[in-house]
Amino acid sequence: MVMGTVRTALAFATGAMALPAGPALAAGLPQLDPSTYAPQVIWLAITFGVLYVLMARVALPRIGHVLEERRHKIDRNLKMAETLKVDAEDAAEAYEGAMADARARAGNVLGDVRERAAKETAERQAELGARLHADIQEAEAGIAEARDKAVAGIRDLAAEVAHSAAEKLAGETVDAGAVRSAVDAVLKERG
Amino acid sequence: MANPLAQFEITTLVPIQLGGVDASFTNSGLFMVVAVTAITLFLTLGMRAHRLVPGRWQSMAELSYEFIASMVRDNVGTEGRPYFPFIFSLFMFILFANLIGLVPYSFTFTSHIIVTFAMAITVFLGVTVIGIIRHGLRFFTLFLPSGVPMVMAPLLIPIEIVSYLSRPVSLSIRLFANMMAGHTMLKVFAGFVVPLGILGGWAPLAVDVALTGFEFLVAVLQAYVFTILTCLYLNDAINLH
Amino acid sequence: MSGLGMAFRIGTELVAALAVGVGIGLLLDHWLDTGPWFLVVFFFLGAAAGMLNVYRAASGIGLAPGFPQRPEKGTEPGEEKEEHDGPAGTGRPGN
Repeated sequence: MVMGTVRTALAFATGAMALPAGPALAAGLPQLDPSTYAPQVIWLAITFGVLYVLMARVALPRIGHVLEERRHKIDRNLKMAETLKVDAEDAAEAYEGAMADARARAGNVLGDVRERAAKETAERQAELGARLHADIQEAEAGIAEARDKAVAGIRDLAAEVAHSAAEKLAGETVDAGAVRSAVDAVLKERG
Repeated sequence: MANPLAQFEITTLVPIQLGGVDASFTNSGLFMVVAVTAITLFLTLGMRAHRLVPGRWQSMAELSYEFIASMVRDNVGTEGRPYFPFIFSLFMFILFANLIGLVPYSFTFTSHIIVTFAMAITVFLGVTVIGIIRHGLRFFTLFLPSGVPMVMAPLLIPIEIVSYLSRPVSLSIRLFANMMAGHTMLKVFAGFVVPLGILGGWAPLAVDVALTGFEFLVAVLQAYVFTILTCLYLNDAINLH
Repeated sequence: MSGLGMAFRIGTELVAALAVGVGIGLLLDHWLDTGPWFLVVFFFLGAAAGMLNVYRAASGIGLAPGFPQRPEKGTEPGEEKEEHDGPAGTGRPGN
């Protein structure tokens, strides 16, 4: 704060002193000595002129060139990144497609296999069933035949028993045909 | 105690006479040459590597370029482009003059009113000529405030003319007074250090250190202000608001 | 710091305009041999111009002579930039 105040006061003072450029003040202030003006202005013109030419012809075009080049490079890289990104997106898309395709194909194959397996199983089951059925029927037929044979045997046996029992009981020969039919009748009656 | 104004003394190094005019090479001229050399070295050595990814010096050079380029673009517009090298040179010249002046035992040529006035009057005349070339007599509508009753014109036009003519004066006084005041204060406080001895000398020394930091800021700020005002004046001449 | 910077700037503007006014007055008087009259007149004109400068510096219009015709011109970075050393942000609508 104090610093600024002193500064301001001094600045005012020097500013005010610049107005009446009297020789008395010039003694104190080197800035107000007119004899120093010409060399300063001349050398200012020379040095600033040289600086301007150096800046305008050499330094600034060079810096501008580098900045331009960098901007171009950045633009180019951005553009390249853009195309790369698009490429990557395309690749990702293609990958997704291939993936979906493969998944679908795998699903199909799996379904086929499952279907085929199921069909085969069913076929084999049917075959087995048929064979078993045939076996059962064969066995049943055998059983029926055996029973018939057994029943016939029983009938013959019964007829013979009845015949000989009648012969023994009645003491006379009974006609075999009559006995057989009687046994048959009884058997039928008994079921 | 040394005279705090002695640092502004002009001393002739090489006496030169050009057709009766004193064109001697003085300490002021020497530091102008030093400033031009420093700027050129800063910008050419900084850019020598010419790398796409800049190093420290290169990015400082680029930064100064971008700084002034955007200043011209923002304040003058695209038509200010031809004047960019001049404005850039002006900024760098003042900036380096102010900064080099902070080095002990150096000379600050921007602390001389004749130097700042010569620069300001060059800007002023250049801008006025540009305005007249671009707009002809219409340039003088700058002094005729629109939207003000015509009765007031005879009073306002002289005021506006004086105001316009005060531009180079305020431009040069501002830079000169800031640089001179700062350097005088540095010298005054520095002058107290030795007489006050070890016991009391540290106080003005601390003030001097703080002041130097402050002066560093002022050096940059004043270069900036001089340049941006040049841009604003140029804008007036080019775009005739 | 900001206030003092402003005060200093206003001082410069005032002194500069006053100096120019007095200078013109003295010159005209010397040239036309009109005694102190031009000096007096231009002293006041200089003071008025100085105040105008101060007003413009303070209101951020810059140091442009004349009044801004378009309102947006009033927002140009004027001398108020003295306190900030950043790049000129919102400039005039350039071109």
